[in-house]
Amino acid sequence: MTDQLLHAPGSLAERRPRRPLDLQLVAIGVVGGVFSGLLGVGGGVIMVPLLVLWAGYGQREAHALSLGAIIPISIGGILTFGFAGHVHWLDAVALTVGAVAGARFGAGLLTRIDERTLKIVFGCFLVAVAIAMGAHA
Amino acid sequence: MSGDAALLLALAAFGVGTGAASGLLGVGGGTLMVPFLTLAVGLSQHAAEATSLVVILPTAIAGSLALRRRGVGDLGLALRFGVLGALGAAGGALLALGLPATTLRVVFAVFLAMVGLRLVRDAVRA
Repeated sequence: MTDQLLHAPGSLAERRPRRPLDLQLVAIGVVGGVFSGLLGVGGGVIMVPLLVLWAGYGQREAHALSLGAIIPISIGGILTFGFAGHVHWLDAVALTVGAVAGARFGAGLLTRIDERTLKIVFGCFLVAVAIAMGAHA
Repeated sequence: MSGDAALLLALAAFGVGTGAASGLLGVGGGTLMVPFLTLAVGLSQHAAEATSLVVILPTAIAGSLALRRRGVGDLGLALRFGVLGALGAAGGALLALGLPATTLRVVFAVFLAMVGLRLVRDAVRA
């Protein structure tokens, strides 16, 4: 089963070899963090493009790395935003119930979808976010 | 009361969408949640951002654990550069206090549109 996963086309075999924490990744983490703090978002919309276009990661691998990096980054954001008083807890709990279920589904999809489709979906998502953000501004 | 229940249900349903986007696209989902919380739910910008960050944390954990079980990505490496990113987040939050938010959003929106179009173009040409 593991063997099958590792050698399936468009799956794990296309991953770059594991690399150590280098300056490029550190820079991407810091940039993602700064945007997270600036805009109150996770930072993935900036980290994924940097991981793909600058660091040369595959689209799937970049998404997984970005999602993992968001864990400490969001903790940093929560602590600095001084969440006492600002968080609407009931709303947060309701959103979380749905979001955790959705995340498991989305992650499952990420392991199966082909890289090209993933790139197109992510690109369209960025354009949609840009339009939403422009409208919001 | 029933209005509250309906709102919570709507939030949970919206959460399913942002969570799915998060797990698939490797983002937190804040870019979707913050506008929704301000425009549809009526929270202030600060409340929306803080609430969004609180939701992002468990969402990213759930997605990352699901990916780890399937052997995609390198969670250890991601957490290590994310910790440094957390320091950047603290700096960004402090910087946000001194910058006009509207200018920031416009610049960021233009940047995202350019990157998004480039990714789609690359994929279509591939």
